[in-house]
Parts: sequence; C-alpha cells; structure tokens
Amino acid sequence: MIDTVREIETAEGISLRLRAAGALPRAQAWVLDLLLRGVFFIVAMIPLSIFGVAGNGLAMLLLFALMWAYAVICEVWMDGQTPGKRALGLRVVHADGTPVTWLPSVVRNLLRAVDILPGVYGVGLVSTLVDPHARRLGDIVAGTMVIHARELPAGQQVPAMPALPLPLVLSADEQAALVDYAERAGQLTVQRQEELANLLTPLTGLRDTAAIRQLVAYVNWLLGRA
Amino acid sequence: MELERIGVVLRPRVTREALDLGAAMLRAHARPVWSAWFAFTLPLFVLCNGLGVALGWPWLGWVLMWWLKPLFDRLPLYVLSRAVFDQAPGWRQTLRGQARWPWRRTLAALTWLRVDSNRALRLPLDLLEGSTRAQRSARWKVLRRRLVGETSLLTYFCLLFELVLFLSVWLFALLLIPHEWRPQSLIELVRGDTQVIPTAWVLAGAGVAYLAMSVIEPLYVACGFALYLNRRTQLEAWDIDLAFRRLRARLQGVALLAGALLCFGAWTPAAQAQATAEVHTAAVAKPASVSLDAVFGARAEAPDPRLAQAAAQAYRDPRFGGEHTVRRWEFKYTPKPATATVNPLFPWLGRLLGGFFQLLLWLLLIGVLGGLIWLGWRWRGRWLVREEEAAPALSPPISSMVDAPAALPADLAGAARALWQAQHRREALALLYRGCVEQTARELRQPPAADATEAHWLRQAQAIDDPQRSRRVIEIVRTWQFAAYAGRYPDDATVEQLLAGWPAQPGAST
Repeated sequence: MIDTVREIETAEGISLRLRAAGALPRAQAWVLDLLLRGVFFIVAMIPLSIFGVAGNGLAMLLLFALMWAYAVICEVWMDGQTPGKRALGLRVVHADGTPVTWLPSVVRNLLRAVDILPGVYGVGLVSTLVDPHARRLGDIVAGTMVIHARELPAGQQVPAMPALPLPLVLSADEQAALVDYAERAGQLTVQRQEELANLLTPLTGLRDTAAIRQLVAYVNWLLGRA
Repeated sequence: MELERIGVVLRPRVTREALDLGAAMLRAHARPVWSAWFAFTLPLFVLCNGLGVALGWPWLGWVLMWWLKPLFDRLPLYVLSRAVFDQAPGWRQTLRGQARWPWRRTLAALTWLRVDSNRALRLPLDLLEGSTRAQRSARWKVLRRRLVGETSLLTYFCLLFELVLFLSVWLFALLLIPHEWRPQSLIELVRGDTQVIPTAWVLAGAGVAYLAMSVIEPLYVACGFALYLNRRTQLEAWDIDLAFRRLRARLQGVALLAGALLCFGAWTPAAQAQATAEVHTAAVAKPASVSLDAVFGARAEAPDPRLAQAAAQAYRDPRFGGEHTVRRWEFKYTPKPATATVNPLFPWLGRLLGGFFQLLLWLLLIGVLGGLIWLGWRWRGRWLVREEEAAPALSPPISSMVDAPAALPADLAGAARALWQAQHRREALALLYRGCVEQTARELRQPPAADATEAHWLRQAQAIDDPQRSRRVIEIVRTWQFAAYAGRYPDDATVEQLLAGWPAQPGAST
C-alpha cells in the first residue's frame, strides 16, 4: 500500500505517524519565505539608504542574516516553522519526530549551499522528488524531515441517539470505521449514506434509513453515551 | 471499479498532503509510467523537431512539444489509474489502451482549454468517468469546489519545477565546462550579441526542455490524480466503504463458519450443544447492555462540578500558562530620541559603525585566542605521552581496594570519646560501631564477618543471652545507622551513655 507516512514506534509501543511533506508544498513555503524576506529587505533598505556607505554595510549584514540565520532562528524558536512553513502547515522535525534543535537546524540550512546548486535549487528539487520522505540533501545529512503539521480534516459531532450495544465484538479498526462513518455522514449524500449502511446489513439486519439509524446508535454505544 | 483492490492508503487528507500522495504513487510506479511515456513521446519529439528543421523554423519543435502536453498527459494517467486499482500495465498495453479512451476531451484540452490551470484535475474527470456533458459539468462543479486554488498552484509550481530543471542542466554545463573551452557563440548568446540563434542551440534547448518536461509532467498528472482521489474519498467516503466491505466479508465468513459448525456437530447431541454454545458466543447473542452509566453509576457525560473545579485549579498552575506577574523597571517618561540632523551625521555615523564593528571583530579575535590558550592550558598534560603511561601498571585487585580496618584501639571508649569531642562525630560513632560489632561477635563466639550489614548485627543482637547487652547493641547499631545514613547525630549525653559499660568497655560487667 502506497502512503506518505513515516511510522515510528516508540519504546512504549506507541506508533507515531509523521506525514512527510513533498516537493510541492515545500516549494510553495520556500517561495513565500523568499517573498517575505525580499519585502522585509526592501522595506529595511529605505531608511538604510539615507546613511550612505554605512547603510550599505548594514544592508549587507542584514542580507547575510536573512540568508543564513533566518531559517535557523525561525525553526528553533518558532516550533520548526518559518513563516512560510507556518502558512502552509509544515514543520521541520528530527527524523524521529522530536522538535528540531540547534545543531541539525544549522546543518540543514548550511547545506542549502549544496541544495541550491547550480543556483536554482536543482539538486534540492531532484533530491526531494527521489527521496521517499521528500528530504533534500541537507535534511538527509542533518537527520531531519519536513512534515505536515496541520490537523486532518475532521467530521462533525456524532448525532446523539439512544445507544445500542453492538451484537458482536469488533476489532479496533472496524470500530474506528463505524465512528468515522457517523462523523462524516453529514458530508455525504443521503444515497451514499444508505449505500454504505447497506454494506453492513449482515451486522444490522436492516436496510436504508433504518440501517443508518442503527449504525449511529451503535456508534453512540461505542462512544460511551447512554 | 473495484475498490477492494486499491493500492494506496485512503484516508481523508489535507489537500497538500494529497499532492504528496501523487508523488509517492509516481515513485512506486516509476518504471511503467516512464517507459510508456518515452515510448510515446520520443518519436513525437523527433518528428516535431524534424518538422521544425525541415520548415526552417527550429523553434517549432519546442512549441509543438509544449502544445501537445495534454495529449501526453493521457499516458501517465492511464498507467497510474490502472496501477492504483489493479496492476500497472506495460507500455505496449498502455499505448493500445489509448485507443479505448475518449478523444473528444483531449481535443478540447488541445484547443480552447489549452491554457487552463485546472487541467490536472480535469483529466481524471474527463478520461476516467466518461459521462455526458450535463453530468460532467455538474460533477466538475462539485469536484472543483475547494480545489481550484490548489490545482492552479500545482500547475504554476510544476511549470516552475520544469524551469528549474531546464536551467539546472544549462547552468551545470556552464559550471563544468572550462572557461576557455566555452564556444564563442554561447558567450555571444549570453551577452546578447547575436540576433539569430544557431539551429543547433535551439535543438539542444528543445532537447533539454523535453527532458525537464518528461520529469515533471508525469508528476503533474500524478498529483492531479491524487487530488481527484482525495476529493472523491472526501465526497464518497471511500475509506469507510473499504472498511465496511472488509467487515461485511468477515461477518459473512463468521456466519458461514457457524453454519458449518452446526451441520458438522449435528451428529452427536453433545457436540451440537457445544456448537450452539460456540455460535452463541460468536455471533448470535446480544450482550447485556453495558454502558458507562452502568459501570460508573453516574451519568458519564453530565458535567461534574468537582472535575471542573479540579480542571480550573490545574489551569491556574503557571506551568499550564495562565497569568504571570512580571515586574520590571520602566521609564516614567519616554526618553526623547536623539534628534539627529541628517546631513552632518553621515560620515560620523559611518565611522562610528565601522569602528564599532572593528572593535567587535577585535574582541572576537581576542576571545578566540583566549579560548585557544585556555584549551591548551586545560589539555596541557594530554599531549605529552608520559613514560609511565606507555606501560600502565596492572590495576590493583578489587579486594585490596577495600580498606582493611585498622586494629581497634585498646581503650575503645576513650578513643571514641576523644574523637567525639574533637567534632569527628561520624568517625567516633563508626569506631564505636566497629567495637560493638567485634564484641558482639566475641560474645556469640562467631568469627567477625567482613560482609555483615547492620541488619545482620541487629538480628544477631537478638541471640545474645543477656537482654541488657542485647538492647545496648541494638541501640548502638541504630545510633550508627541514623548518623551514617540520615546525618542525624545523638546529643552528648546519649553518646556518654553509649560509651559507658559493655561493649565500649569490654571489661565492664554490664
């Protein structure tokens, strides 16, 4: 089965699912960051231009900081998110899912010098397209990756109904599917809801609207409502 | 379409995540996609450029290849759509399969829809769903609702990626060719001296552009297809459909098994009874209604005032945020900014800043030098390889590292009292303890054990016949334990009491 998730099992037996972010969202975040920095630099140049040569020197220092320190400082102090990444819901983390720290962040951003070759990020693009977790060379060396941090789209509250106990024991996956169904039924057409509910006639013994109501009642029981 | 055979993990995803699913699909089916791609597009590339050269317009091949993109898009989509639901087809099969796919929409995409930023999402709808015109426009309205922005961004960024790859190839070539070997025509081209570009360069450019397109265009189609899959998963809950189908198959399997058990066990009444019992537990009986109310005796969802209070208490903890009181000094009046007249300050400020940064650099240099000297001083011993270290002596055996206790003084009580009065309280009590232990061993006619613990001597004390002596041993051991492990020392009177009589004075009668 093809998926973009990197699954990590902790020593406590908890599996963490890191949803690796690919080349396209990362490029979008990068372009946004570039625009932000460009605008900031131009705005800063206006007062600096009054100071002649001294202002030029300061502008060079600012440019250096924006090129090399911006990403590191943002990543370490803003939860692994530069403003562009934050806007797109991305986050830099270590390969094991822990928050990124100084050294890996510095390494991954220093290696931009390689990824940017030959001046237009060609190496970085090819690396993100080829790597299964869409890491560029800097990420691979620093042991970091970029993940989707935004929450998954969720359904609405399960409608409250008198709970009905399930007639037999279901596995955790099957229970989750039932709850998913009740939560997302509002996004589906009525016909599709009935079609799905009819699939479970062996469980409910009913069809169409009655089957939907029965399933929602089961879910109320699964959620521990009275 | 048989959903059970789908080869990707379906779950509701953020739209951007769906794009990454497209890249992952492409990575997994890279070989069939690109073999079909090159089998179809390479002859066309040669044909287009040949046509361009023959007509005397070398750029025509370039333009035609770009224009025909919607036609080429059919191949990756064919492979991926088959690969996701079934098996990836070979390139011959893909080429043959094109004949069966509708052409009208491709013609539309090649003409009036050529400049359409939603092509990636339109493709699966047009080619995979095959519906009438009215249906299609209704479907398109539903499908595109939250995706238009994302699909347009996808198109623009794929264009950008193509450009990046195209430029990368040229720039790498420029970087790798030594300066004196670079052909004069290229330098003139870069400087803009030439007005007419030689055909060879145009063809090379077309070739590189074709390669860049070959890399990115399948990605574009795959991402569009993934967006389509994700949207339909959202609209039609495909993931739930799959889970329900699996559950249904399992339930039907259970029912079959139960039936088989019934038939099989009907031969003997006992077996039948057992079988019905099994079926009973497996599928038929409804368990007694168990709810949270029954288990906990109270309404599970009713708001509990105690819980709310405890939660409020917890949130007041500064570690969970909440309010902080911060004290700091502030100016009562805002300090006036130094009014700087602009003109005369220019050279000043420049010199000032220059001096400041120079000072900073000097300080940095001093810091680095200081650090180096400090490091050298700190590690000064490590650099000289000493003679002794070349042949390190065998480490002494562990047993000899345990201090053999010095012999006890003859006047134990006196020695201990002297130590106590000299404020060496711990040593005094240790001496007393050791003497006490020795006397106890002698009393019990045992060899003194080196590995005996305090607890051992407490137990041994019970064995002493004289209850008073036994009590005194326990007292001394306890006092020592309190002093040694808890740092709690007795007062002088207690010590005097412990030092009087047996065992501190072995000759004493009590």
